[in-house]
Amino acid sequence: MDFNDSPEEAAFRQEVKTWLAENAQAYREPLPLGPGDIRIAEMGREWQKIKARGGYAAISWPTEAGGRGATPIEEVIFAEEENRYHVPVGPFVGIGVGLAVPTIRAHGTPEQIEQFAHPTLMGDILWCQLFSEPAAGSDLAAVRTRAQRDGDDWVVNGQKVWTSWAHTADWGILLARTDPEQVKHKGLTFFLLDMRTPGIDVRPIRSISGESEFNEVFLTDVRIPDRCRLGEVGAGWGVAMTTLMNERANSTGESLLLPDVSSLVRLARERGLAEKNQRELAALYAREQGLKYFQARQLTALSRGEQLGPMSVISKLVFANVLQDGSAMGLDMLGLEAAFLATEDHRVTRFQYGYQWAAALRIAGGADEILKNQIAERELGLPGEIRADKGVPFSQLPVGR
Amino acid sequence: MNFDFSDDQKMLADHARQFLGETCTFDRLREFVASGEDYDRALWQQMVELGWPGLSVPEAAGGLGLGVLELCLLSEEIGRVLAPVPFFSTVCQAVPLLEQAGGEVADSLLARIAAGTCTVAVANPDQGHSLELGGNSCLDGALAPVAWLHCADVLLVTASETDGTAVLLSVELDQPGVQRERLAAQVLDSVSAWGAAHFDKALTTVLARGELVVALNHKLRLRSAVLLAFEQLGGADSACTMARDYSLERYTFGRQIGGYQAIKHKLADVRVAIELARSNAYYGAWALYTDSPELPRAAALARISGTETFTLAAEENLQVHGGIGYTWEANCHFYYQRARLLAVAVGGPDQWAAELLESIR
Repeated sequence: MDFNDSPEEAAFRQEVKTWLAENAQAYREPLPLGPGDIRIAEMGREWQKIKARGGYAAISWPTEAGGRGATPIEEVIFAEEENRYHVPVGPFVGIGVGLAVPTIRAHGTPEQIEQFAHPTLMGDILWCQLFSEPAAGSDLAAVRTRAQRDGDDWVVNGQKVWTSWAHTADWGILLARTDPEQVKHKGLTFFLLDMRTPGIDVRPIRSISGESEFNEVFLTDVRIPDRCRLGEVGAGWGVAMTTLMNERANSTGESLLLPDVSSLVRLARERGLAEKNQRELAALYAREQGLKYFQARQLTALSRGEQLGPMSVISKLVFANVLQDGSAMGLDMLGLEAAFLATEDHRVTRFQYGYQWAAALRIAGGADEILKNQIAERELGLPGEIRADKGVPFSQLPVGR
Repeated sequence: MNFDFSDDQKMLADHARQFLGETCTFDRLREFVASGEDYDRALWQQMVELGWPGLSVPEAAGGLGLGVLELCLLSEEIGRVLAPVPFFSTVCQAVPLLEQAGGEVADSLLARIAAGTCTVAVANPDQGHSLELGGNSCLDGALAPVAWLHCADVLLVTASETDGTAVLLSVELDQPGVQRERLAAQVLDSVSAWGAAHFDKALTTVLARGELVVALNHKLRLRSAVLLAFEQLGGADSACTMARDYSLERYTFGRQIGGYQAIKHKLADVRVAIELARSNAYYGAWALYTDSPELPRAAALARISGTETFTLAAEENLQVHGGIGYTWEANCHFYYQRARLLAVAVGGPDQWAAELLESIR
């Protein structure tokens, strides 16, 4: 029992370290960007090209696709080492490399793979994911955005929401309804959408924090040529499942902008509140640290070439809830004098931002309630939810707000 | 990354689980309580045959020479079935204490433990008592409560010499200077058994003295916290499985109660807590095994997670059972009550929370 790399992992880590030392020097210092500055996406293209030259642009892809055929543990090692620098990595590149192209490779024609795989690898195509809708979040298969055949094209009308990086993306992966008379999961088709097509209106959503991390995307008579359909007509749900399977469970948005429980304990101590709250603080810290050692156990499983089980969803579940509870406690301790006011004091802004972001994190990428259902059903073997929409054509389902 | 037990260690745990699952059933626990027996001697004898008392005793002294990681896994399995035997005090506490104290008397005690001819009660070093050590290492005073004190062969206890120097004593309990009794039947957790002893010029042997005793007790506390965390983990996991099984058997309003989100989410919360507690317990095991300077933090983390999780699992198990869960026959009480006992053994939650926060700089 130890926390060390295996000899092979250590060799890979050393190789990555050496390469980064030679190629990531420009990223020694933080990028000259404020939070939320979308220019980071353009910078991401450059870093992606540098990685492509070194053979690190898409290490999880098979070698014949230009990747390294890296194991999941090697992906983690690369990310750990890469993150020692201030490199511009994020979903603006990750959606393409991690989600869009693996889906295209699994379901696409040779022409589609040819058209998209290499340019995405090189950072020439950035992607966004046009899945969620105002009435289709946890119940993703309820999407209403309609695609209707018109000659060699499909004409798309509808609204997508929570689309990160839609304003910087060149292409989008789109799930739309092609046959409302089929049952919910069967009337869907998957498309690849050129984001420069007329009729696409990307509007930033002002979130509770006042920032605009996400967009709404309105689609009005948007024409998609049939050659940009991915998979068969009506097979979109299966294609989308491939995308969702590739979503990494541990993309929690941990960052230097968020507070940890140690900083909360130090704050409590300074304010003379540590003793009064010691049970609560200790419990919060134990959850945070338990998650850290849980992740060490997950890496161990990956290191042994094992698949991660249903419990891997707790990374986001626990992180988001600890963040919310810890940030709330921190703000309460800061009190009326400090908690609500704009400030340059990073210690305060971390609790402010953490409290707001936690609310998003508890919903995004699988809401708490969905993840608990998954644990109950897949890990504990409890019965699935009763589906009122089973066997009913989509057009006849009751529609709420 | 290799943050896990080895295949051999897991195999040992699997065997232990199978053996204990077959032998130490709820029926047997109820029979044990009804019998008024001191501890489950037949079960202990089977454990002796498996070599468990001498698990971590060096091979030279007749043991199996295995380490603390194996002890962690066995503790989890024993926690799962709430085995009424003096395993924790004899194997988890006394053996390492004797090994570290060293000397002829300690060595011969280790050999007796490994041979299965000696059980040990260990007094909590933090426990207040009125013991006084007189001349010729004779002990006077009273001590209570200590687990298995009424029936163990030997007691390990820390006392003070007249000048205040701390000494670690071993006391053979079957001697004229020792009067013992089992404390009255408990209101909570009748599967464990607690004793009291009165010493009148009892003969003792000094195993260690002064600074060494302080160091030994410090280590004993941390080790106890980690191993108890594994016991709590085993109990929590069992209680969770029991609740899950019942929720699949019990029907209300025409369907299994395990299909309602109120139950699904409750049990998912328990399962998440178990995963975190397991991870902190593993960290404690690693810190013990490597004798890491992080041990105080690791022990406190394991202990706090263990207590919180066993409590949650035991309470929700009874809740999922509904009214029947409140009956003696339904067995939920075994976990419900044991969770409270383990919460305060080797220091309560407040104390460990304070120590955990202390470790954060």
